[in-house]
Amino acid sequence: MAAALASRFSRGRSLIGSLSNAFSGLMNSSNGIMNGNILSQQQQRTFIQMGTTLKVVDNSGAKEVKCIQSLKANKKGARLGDIIVGSVKEAIPKGKVKKGKVVYGVVVRAAMQKGRVDGSQVKFDDNAIVVVGIKEKKKKKPEENKKNKVEFNQPTGTRVFGPVPHEMRNKKQLKILALAQHMV
Amino acid sequence: MATSFNRLPPQALHMITRNPTQSSKKLGFSTFLSCAPSVDSSFSRLSLNHSGSKFGLSLDTRVRKEFIVRAEDNAEAEPEEAAVDGIVDAEGNVEEVVEVGEAKSMRKPRIKLGDVMGILNKKAIEVSEKVRPVPEIRTGDIVEIKLEVPENRRRLSIYKGIVMSRQNAGIHTTIRIRRIIAGIGVEIVFPIYSPNIKEIKVMSHRKVRRARLYYLRDKLPRLSTFK
Repeated sequence: MAAALASRFSRGRSLIGSLSNAFSGLMNSSNGIMNGNILSQQQQRTFIQMGTTLKVVDNSGAKEVKCIQSLKANKKGARLGDIIVGSVKEAIPKGKVKKGKVVYGVVVRAAMQKGRVDGSQVKFDDNAIVVVGIKEKKKKKPEENKKNKVEFNQPTGTRVFGPVPHEMRNKKQLKILALAQHMV
Repeated sequence: MATSFNRLPPQALHMITRNPTQSSKKLGFSTFLSCAPSVDSSFSRLSLNHSGSKFGLSLDTRVRKEFIVRAEDNAEAEPEEAAVDGIVDAEGNVEEVVEVGEAKSMRKPRIKLGDVMGILNKKAIEVSEKVRPVPEIRTGDIVEIKLEVPENRRRLSIYKGIVMSRQNAGIHTTIRIRRIIAGIGVEIVFPIYSPNIKEIKVMSHRKVRRARLYYLRDKLPRLSTFK
């Protein structure tokens, strides 16, 4: 159990692949410090927070979104299945969602591992969201404003690309599950 | 995490509590509780909150009582042993006393505190193996796992992929499977002795020269694709 926990913290990309051949020859000669280097080079995958760029995997029009806020109470950031607020950085020319819009999205793929109740963990190779709402800019009167109770269930797009985890069922994102190509 | 082994503890309980006595089917826990109050303090070091243990508080206390009985077999304290013998006799098993006597003369090896987790893990693995035997899995195997997902009750989910690593941790021995699904790389960690896993099958093997294949994350997706 301790071994499994320790291994979880040493996940991620090894940077050795990026080194050139000549340098790797030099690295091989210094085998003594090899193990320490590898452990420190493994990336620790973490939460989705302000500034994280995410791919958009539906046909709502946006292509890339930068996270502004995670709507989860957790101050560390959003994980797989959480809703985030993001700003569209890149969009297709004729889409529902345009560049510069502020959108709500649910994280469908996260590079950070998510544990499940049966002891398994799942992680993806990238961070991706599905747009579930667009933020309106107009000012509303306080009594009309019911944004606190708004549920983000309906994706803006009509298709979802790539695999989708089972966590969506717990988060009540059943429409996304129905549209998904593949469920993990 | 404890919920995953809801089905396991009753089975394990039967295995563990049957072992020391081998004869009486109905072991009243009241007997253990009555004979072990004075020994509690000496065993306070054997903490109930083993961080590695998944069996919950109840199993720990019962197993602790079992070890208390075993330790008493090795001539710990005279009055307690007599009490144990007396109580066990009351259950109606004469063979039990003879067994204990023989064990005392043969000098059974003491179970050290450090071995406890290893023994517990082995027992739990035995129980799990009885239900479903687990094949030999090594890094580089391409395996197919059939998983029963409680949310997806219709049919079993199938996960195929290459074993990137195997972490040995007793009952929570896990394997990490990698595969490219719908264009995106997905890695899933499975505890191989989990009751949710209905079948593990080794399809083929790829020659690898590492124990952990983390380099596959940087390589072409083609290397992680399995039909």
